[in-house]
Amino acid sequence: MKSRLYAGVATLALMASAAHAQDLIIEPGTEGFNWDSFEAFAAEHDFTGEALTITGPWTGADGQMVNNMLAFFAEATGADVRYSGSDSFEQDIVIAIQANSAPNLAVFPQPGLAADMAARGALAPLGQETADWMVENYAAGQSWVDLGSFENADDEAEMFGFFYKVDVKSLVWYSPEQFDEMGYDIPETLEDLKALSAQIVEDGGTPWCIGLGSGAATGWPATDWVEDMMLRLHAPEVYDQWVTNELPFNSPEVIEAIEAYGEFVRTDGWAQGGPEAAATTDFRDSPAGLFQIPPSCYMHKQASFIPTFFPDGSEFGADYDFFYFPSSSEADLGDPVLGAGTLFAITSDSPAARGLIEFFKTPIAHEVWMAQSGFLTPHSGVNLDVFSSDALRAMNEILLAATTFRFDASDLMPGEIGAGAFWTGMVDYTTQGNAESVANMIQERWDAMR
Amino acid sequence: MSPVFQGILTIIIGVGGCVGYFYFSNMLLDKVIFPARGPNTGRNINRANQVRPWLFLFPAMFALGLYLAYPVVGSFWRSLFDRSGANFIGLGNYVDLFSEGTFRTAVMNNLLWVLFVPAMATFLGLLVAQLTDRLSWGNIAKSLIFMPMAISFVGASLIWKFVYSANPDIGIINSIRDAMGLAVLDPLQVRFWNNFFLMFILVWIQTGFAMVILSAALRGIPEETIEAAIIDGANAFQVFFKIKVPQIMGTIVVVWTTITILVLKVFDIVYTMTGGNFGTHILPSYMMTYMFRDDGRATAVAFVIMLLVLPVMIWNIRQARNEMR
Amino acid sequence: MDNIAGQNQGSKLAVNITVIILVLLWLLPTIGLFVSSFRDRDQISNSGWWQAPLAVDLNFRTRVAADGAREENGTFVLEGNVFADPALASNFPDATGTIAAYGTRAVAPGEFAAGEVSELRAGGTVVVNSDGSYRIETAEALDRGPTLYFEARTPPKFTLANYRTVLFADGMDRAFINTLTVTIPATIIPILIAAFAAYALAWMDFPGRGLLIAAVVGLLVVPLQLALVPLLSLHTNIGIGQSFLGIWLAHTGFGLPLAVYLLRNYMVGLPRDIIESAKVDGATDFQIFVRIILPLSFPALASFAIFQFLWTWNDLLVAKVFLPSGAESQVMTVKIADDLLGSRGGDWGILATAAFVSIAVPLVVFFTMQRYLVRGLLAGSVK
Repeated sequence: MKSRLYAGVATLALMASAAHAQDLIIEPGTEGFNWDSFEAFAAEHDFTGEALTITGPWTGADGQMVNNMLAFFAEATGADVRYSGSDSFEQDIVIAIQANSAPNLAVFPQPGLAADMAARGALAPLGQETADWMVENYAAGQSWVDLGSFENADDEAEMFGFFYKVDVKSLVWYSPEQFDEMGYDIPETLEDLKALSAQIVEDGGTPWCIGLGSGAATGWPATDWVEDMMLRLHAPEVYDQWVTNELPFNSPEVIEAIEAYGEFVRTDGWAQGGPEAAATTDFRDSPAGLFQIPPSCYMHKQASFIPTFFPDGSEFGADYDFFYFPSSSEADLGDPVLGAGTLFAITSDSPAARGLIEFFKTPIAHEVWMAQSGFLTPHSGVNLDVFSSDALRAMNEILLAATTFRFDASDLMPGEIGAGAFWTGMVDYTTQGNAESVANMIQERWDAMR
Repeated sequence: MSPVFQGILTIIIGVGGCVGYFYFSNMLLDKVIFPARGPNTGRNINRANQVRPWLFLFPAMFALGLYLAYPVVGSFWRSLFDRSGANFIGLGNYVDLFSEGTFRTAVMNNLLWVLFVPAMATFLGLLVAQLTDRLSWGNIAKSLIFMPMAISFVGASLIWKFVYSANPDIGIINSIRDAMGLAVLDPLQVRFWNNFFLMFILVWIQTGFAMVILSAALRGIPEETIEAAIIDGANAFQVFFKIKVPQIMGTIVVVWTTITILVLKVFDIVYTMTGGNFGTHILPSYMMTYMFRDDGRATAVAFVIMLLVLPVMIWNIRQARNEMR
Repeated sequence: MDNIAGQNQGSKLAVNITVIILVLLWLLPTIGLFVSSFRDRDQISNSGWWQAPLAVDLNFRTRVAADGAREENGTFVLEGNVFADPALASNFPDATGTIAAYGTRAVAPGEFAAGEVSELRAGGTVVVNSDGSYRIETAEALDRGPTLYFEARTPPKFTLANYRTVLFADGMDRAFINTLTVTIPATIIPILIAAFAAYALAWMDFPGRGLLIAAVVGLLVVPLQLALVPLLSLHTNIGIGQSFLGIWLAHTGFGLPLAVYLLRNYMVGLPRDIIESAKVDGATDFQIFVRIILPLSFPALASFAIFQFLWTWNDLLVAKVFLPSGAESQVMTVKIADDLLGSRGGDWGILATAAFVSIAVPLVVFFTMQRYLVRGLLAGSVK
């Protein structure tokens, strides 16, 4: 609540007069934060009066948090930073780039889209130095560099995207109170999870709340399910081949994963309201079932950002908690974690834009958001104590404990598949199709792109 | 500079520039180029009058040419290239489209929309216009039925999400089904019929438009023809169908065409209600899935829409020609 | 002599009823949205809007804190009132209410009748009375208090919070001004341009007139989407890019065919002798147009203005393509769709309110200009 208030004040101040420094949500000098890095950065960079425009997908509460973080950059350098968020960022940035009115930086939620833009020559490379820094300072740094590297207009791979803010997707949310009252235990394996689901049905309850609705993007939550299943049924290499279509979409491995998702959504009584309701319920509405009295479901699989959409006043620990979406004991593939992240890319080069990328290398740029909410980071130099909640710390631990980390496949696939055919295909499968014909349909669309 | 002031300034510049063009270009013509004085007064006035229509027409022709005629040509040209815009692939985009199942569904659905929406909206509009004609509170009724016209398509979709929601605590249809002991179902997932549920939203919006125009047309019918029919012993329905409808046929056709044209442009309803899932895509919404991703494909779809409208367009041009004679 | 409606009382009644049903059918969805805009998210998902004015039975939970226990003859006693829970204050502002039943598990919130003593899973007993007071007795001190569930009749509740959220959202004022900045010129410019063109097409003689009229009619049907991609690149190439100028031009272009078509049809119908006598008096075409035609065409101008205004006000697509996405140039539809709805997509109350806020101005414009609309359109369509 407090941070919201501050953010409101901050935005008002920004609107009233941009030159005036914004209020900072954390008093510089507060214990636990790496203020040295902040001061060192401030001493080296001065962009007084320079405008820095940024667009990204974060709106509402997330938008306020990014503004809070950027206020520190503004404070350190004197730059006039303007962030604007849009729910249809993916369209807006393409239009802006076509219209030559791109902002200085864009925050891409999907590497696939950033790769498209890089191929059109719309992004400025970040340089070898930044790549080296990331290998050194990010956990599994090389993989983040690889995820942020795309082919430029001349088909040469360069690093264009700087990952900042990561989400863990392999999480199941539940109400500890409900589990306690019904005597359910946290499942340790995928097999246990299925047994628990069957147990809940036997007790007269509904195990899962699933909601695929998301306006024009309806279907994406199901793609996360399928990706998690892929990682639990097959080796990570198979997953990588699937992403690049080396392994066709309609191959038996993928169909098996789709059907594994289907077991949860299409088994009678497992999904609240049945598959039809799952297909249209908004993903932001669907966790509400956990909090109803009596509960209309007991578990909800969703990424680390979802608490933003829980009812007002819900508390971690008392009202909700999460567990790792368990891996299969039969497959022996370790504990794979599915994740996603947003990457900053320079769409219109300027010293201030370079400066912001430099700023992200300081621990303080991560810590000020860790102290808010919904933020995980692979930066190894940060002080984990500043996380605002145990929930975030626990999620960061899942991220670090992963034996296998894989990036959201649909975000890596070309837009027409990962943000199109895969989504609609999953809606079809959920409501009536069979996995094979849906997979064939998606593969056909992929073939048609060449 | 405060935003309000900035806004007002831009408005003044925009509108003022437009007024200025007409005023000064006419003054230039009359006072400087062909002044209506001196030895050649008569010839100058004639010349000025030959030039003037083009002066009047120029901005409109320029804007129409640039914003509508050029895109038709430009889009067709673009649709012959692949997604990058660099490689000429002839009719490749069209061939690919027609081999795709979703596209064929979209074409079929679009034909349904074109048949159903204008017919239904015109029929309901006519019905309301006739029924409210002599009603004491007719004007209030008409205003209320016209109201959806003021609502954006996105707003209208939102309103109807409340009606169609599968949750009996939100959607009124399912709450009624629930109360009657019927199983809850999602109207938007009932294959084939879901198209009609979506179409009804547009009917809901457009009936007011049809009603307003048809009701005015009904009032324009000379009283004598109706009186004569009643004296001849015609009943109410005969008067309506045999006397009134034929007399306003011209207006009915205009209303029908106007709505038809609109139907081929609306994508918002499908886009926000179902996102094209459950077999509800129509061409404009299907086009949006390609928009700014594969411009070649997107413009090809737009061109198919254009082809669908072509008969209406040709028919309209002929009408206009006939009127002028 | 009168037609259908006037023949007898019976048919008059039938007409009245039919119209009432139709009006209700047309109004009902909007009413639902209106009522919902005054309710919060939880209420909307718990009960239909048609139940909003009624008191409903709802289930609640309260967590009893363990630290208030006192020892009485060897047993630990916790006492209190469920309605005193601050988390429930929004539903029971005066901390009182009537309980129908209670329970100790969320799956069965009404397991026991009020006043009935029941066993706690952790050992001990609990009783909740109908006035909300509870008494928990345990043999040992609890380290965590039990959670109690209860069913209570809740009075109807309406809130203006949604309107506060939408109206006072950061930048909404700016978006409102931006919308006006887009809408006003985008309404006036095409009318001006179209009026001159319509006059030329209606009353001036020049070669190719018929062809031009046919072209205008033909362009009426060009789908808007066709133009977006090529025009954006055109704007970029000539340096307009994404700007207010660009969107005015775009709206002007897209609105022109209908404007020229409507206005020409209207102007052709004006009496010829007025114009001819003015010409005899030596008036130029420009003077005739400004002094005679414009005032006489007012209904047609107004009716087109309403259409163009509604269309530009409600437009989302053109604004998204031709205006930059930053906060400085966001219009209301974009602000609502991309900023407000995006982060609160599941919040029906906010959605409903946003829809109402965005239709308020068009409705006012429509109801004040309504009578011109009919007159103007008629001239264009009735032969």
